[in-house]
This record gives sequence, structure tokens and C-alpha cells, in this order.
Amino acid sequence: MIRFRMMPLVIRQVTRHRTRTLLTAGGVATSMFLFVAVQAMQNGVAMATETSAADTTLVVYREDRYCPFTSRLPQYYLRDILTIQGVESAVPMKVVVSNCRASLDVVTFRGVPSEEFSGDYAARMTLIDGDLQQWRRRSDAALVGETLAARRGLKIGDRFDAAGVITYVAAIISSHEPQDQNVAYVHLDFLQQTTDRKLGTVTQFNIKVQSPKYLDSVARAVDERFASAEYPTSTRPEKAFVAQAAADMIELIGFTRWLGWGCLAAVLALVGNAIVLGVQDRIREHAVLQTLGYNSFLIQRLIVTESLLLGLLGGVLGAGLAVGVLQWGQFALTADGVSIPFAAGWTLILFGVGLSVLLGVVAGLVPAWQAARRPITTCFRAV
Amino acid sequence: MALIECRELTKEYRRGENVIRPLQELDLEVEAGAFLALMGPSGSGKTTLLNLIAGIDQPTRGELIIDGEDVGKLSRSRLAAWRADYIGYVFQLYNLVPVLTAYENVELPLLLHPIKRRERHERVATALELVGLADRHDHYPRQLSGGQEQRVAIARAIVADPRIIVADEPTGDLDKPAAHAIMNLLTRLNQELGKTMIMVTHDAHTAEYAARTLHLDKGRLVESGAHIAAGAAMEAAS
Repeated sequence: MIRFRMMPLVIRQVTRHRTRTLLTAGGVATSMFLFVAVQAMQNGVAMATETSAADTTLVVYREDRYCPFTSRLPQYYLRDILTIQGVESAVPMKVVVSNCRASLDVVTFRGVPSEEFSGDYAARMTLIDGDLQQWRRRSDAALVGETLAARRGLKIGDRFDAAGVITYVAAIISSHEPQDQNVAYVHLDFLQQTTDRKLGTVTQFNIKVQSPKYLDSVARAVDERFASAEYPTSTRPEKAFVAQAAADMIELIGFTRWLGWGCLAAVLALVGNAIVLGVQDRIREHAVLQTLGYNSFLIQRLIVTESLLLGLLGGVLGAGLAVGVLQWGQFALTADGVSIPFAAGWTLILFGVGLSVLLGVVAGLVPAWQAARRPITTCFRAV
Repeated sequence: MALIECRELTKEYRRGENVIRPLQELDLEVEAGAFLALMGPSGSGKTTLLNLIAGIDQPTRGELIIDGEDVGKLSRSRLAAWRADYIGYVFQLYNLVPVLTAYENVELPLLLHPIKRRERHERVATALELVGLADRHDHYPRQLSGGQEQRVAIARAIVADPRIIVADEPTGDLDKPAAHAIMNLLTRLNQELGKTMIMVTHDAHTAEYAARTLHLDKGRLVESGAHIAAGAAMEAAS
């Protein structure tokens, strides 16, 4: 880096070449906006699908079915599931979605019996606003995930309508599980009656096992128990289930990684181009500085710092704007009832800005080296 | 002892198959406080000699001893530090940084020295006052006339208090009144502040401001003469 007293010199170069700075920083900001959005999707996939050692939730789904409309299991399976060794609790769940295709604004209802839900399953959630008792008392009441509430602008006491289901917002909850953040929990019988008027049929069971070591054995035991039944099951850890259910969407999101790399390459090219042009334009100026006693290394550092500032400016604008938009929009990609949230926060801003600064420095290295190695007299003759 | 001593100073460079020798085995001594004009036709080696003395070019052979140090043998980085201490350079085309104000341009050499901001401010203000541009400190070069730009360049050259001021055709791009003002200023710096002044010029009238003139041709010293007094040119011009 350069000495503090030199900083105004670099800042003046950045602020007083206004058009160049605006164009470069604007380009970098656009690229970083896209990069951060892509990264937020990638982070969302990781959050929603990467199983941790502490996970204790299994999802029982109908074998060979991937859509909540086609996964139908008898509710009475619950009795058998609860007898399997290692199972701590289980919640039968009916899932209804407003749109079965991949979309940014899908409302997912999860119908759950209030008595089973209130125990272990609800323990992973935190009440942000409202009243759980009211949810228990009122048949059309919904516990709305924080992300869904923010996206739809829902408040306690609001009624909202999606997929033909009209519910009353009794409470807003948050959870470290992305799937809870983007759904509305309603009473199971209410949802069964409102949608297909079929009591006794659910989409899935969510099982909480006593410890992570039981995940495999319980999953195996459940599927073996119902292997010869009329509705065989497929049981997986919750995050593996999400990965399977949203496999197509995750593959597409994975592909966007290339878009992210392209954005970084664009940042490098933009800053590099601006600095190369700037250095070519200022050959005489750098020769004058050297004549005044600025050594080659200092000239290099001045150029690299300028390049760093351009990267920083664009990075702060782009990453900040991207995270702001994503936080404001609370977007989540939803398909077949599972959600992949855009996970964007301070860490991502810092990562984006850091990367932008790093690329700024890298982009400035070659032009800086070229500018500093030219003999002074050659520079004066060259222009 | 002379401030500047050149012994068999030679500069060569290659252009394709040919070896060009803009300066050939030149011997010269310049006393501290002298005002020297270098004259000669294009390609005679006067700018090469000026650039060697200014430390922005290095000799191929020979010795260039300034204040007891052989600057021809200094490394690139030490030479840069030496320039910051010893040399103030005035260019024909002023070479001010266009995005910096007059004040900021003059401040440039001081940024290399560990000087407190307040002292830096005082020195820049003094230099601008000396060249008569204190009221134009916040003007950008594009807002100044040629003569004013050259005066800012002179303020920049003297602000770090160098021992030697070199000027490459300092009036070459100016009209007569502006050229006269600039030469008066350089003469004052030489006479009142005791700066050693070395100036390249094509113009015999401008050379009269110097106390001594050297004529170069094909890289060699061909004639050396002393003027009556630098002040005579000032008087004659005014």
C-alpha cells in the first residue's frame, strides 16, 4: 500500500476522471450484482441441502413420487412409525402449493395436526410475532414463516388466499431451517377439507429421531415396514429429500456458477481495461512524477491503489445493491413444495467486496508494472 | 569545488544497427549558484546533457559527479530519491497534472517527504506566492494561461528546495511578454535564492539571461562564453 499522505492523490485521480470512473465502477457493480445474486442462490442450495452432523429429521414420502400432488400416504402410518426404535416423534403433513412449477413466489401450505406439531417439531422454530394459542384455537389459523411473511407483506390478523386456501395469520415464526422460513403451517384437517375433502391422507411424515446415529436405521426400518403395503414409502434425511425433490432446479442453479465466474472475468477485464487505458493516457504524467522523485515502485503502488479503489467502489455498489434487493425481496426458488432461499447477508457483501478489491489489484498489476519499467526519457519522447 | 563535474561523459544508444552518440566524452564543471545556458542545434546533445544532470537518464560512460556523488552509478530507486532532494525540473510544455489544481500540482514533490500537512501547506503557499499565483491556487491547468502554467511548474520545481533547477526550453511555448516574465523569475531564483540553474534554449535572447552559455554540437562542447551579467538581459528586456 501507499503512505496515507499519498491517498488524496489517488482519490483525486479516481474522482476527477469522472466518466471513466462511473463507467468502470458501473460495469463492476453490474457484474458484482450478478455474481452476488448467483452466489446467494448457491449459498441457498447449500443451506437447504447440505446435511450436518446434528440433523435429526427424516422425511417419509411416497416411493417414486416427487410432487406433493402425487405423494399420498395414509395418515394411519403414523401409528406404525412411532413404534420404530429410535423415533422420538413424527408429524403427518399435507403439503399444498400454489404453483407446482419452479417459481420465485410459491406459497406452500403444510397441514399439521396441532397436538403433534406443538411438541418436538415446533421446537426448531422461534415465535417472532403473534400467539401460538390463537393458532391452536382457530381452525383456519396459519403460522407463517418469516420469509413468506416478508415477501407477501403479511402481518398478524391478515387473511391471505393462495391455492384456494384462505387462512388467518395467527403468528409469524423463524427457523434456521430454510423450509420452515418459506411456508405457512395450518391445521391438517382444515387443509384436507379445504383442498381435496379427503381426511386421512397426507403428503409426507416428518420424523424426528432420538439422535443423528438413528437416521439411517430409522429410514431403513420405515421403508421396510411399508415395502409391501399399498403405498410404499421412501425415507430420507430432510435435506437429502430437498436435494432430491429440487434436483432439476439445483442442477440449473449449479450451472449458474459459470455465470458467476463470467461476472468475475468481466470485473477483471473492466478494471484492467480502464487502468491500461488510463496508464497509456498518462505516460507523460507518470514520467513527470518520476522526474519529481517518485520511484518506480511508488508509481506501481499508486496505479494498483487506483485500480483497487475502482474495484472497491464497484464492489460496494454491486454487492450492496444485490444484498439489499435480495433482502428486501426475500426471494426463494420453490419447486414441488421445497424452497431454495437466496441466502444473502453481510458475509456475502464482504465476500463480494473482497473479491472485487482483489480483482482490482490483480487487474492493476500488469499495467502498473509496464508503467513503472519505462525509462523516463522514453516516456517523454513517446507522447 | 564545483557542484557539478562531468568527466568524459558519454551517452550512447542503439537504433537498429546504428549506435547513436548524442553526447561524447564531455568535460564540464558548474559551480554552485551558476546560471548556465546550453545552446546548440537539434540533436546536439543539450537535452541529453540536461537529462543526465537531472538524473532522469544515465550515462553510458564517464563520470557525473554532483555534490561529491557519482549519480551515474546510482541504482534506479536511489536515483529517484536523489532527484527528489537535488533537482527541480521545468519543462517546455509545463507538464502539469491536468486533474490536479495549481496547489495540488505544486504539492506533488512534497508528498515524498515526511512533512506535516501544515508545513506542506505553508511551503506550497510560499512557492505559489513567489511565482505570483497565490490567488490561482485552486485553478486547474486548463483554467490558466501558458505563462501561468509555467509559473506553477516553476513553483513545483522549487517547492522542495532543490539545489539545482534544470529547465528545458522554459520559454519555448510562450509569447514574448510571458517568456520575459518567466526568465525574470528564473533569474530571481538564481540570484536571490542561490539556486544553480541549467537551462536548454534555442533562443539567443533567452540565453542572455544566463551568466554563462555553452554551445554544443554533435555531442561535443564547441564553445563556452560568459555574459556580462544575467541582470543585463533583464534590464535590456524591460
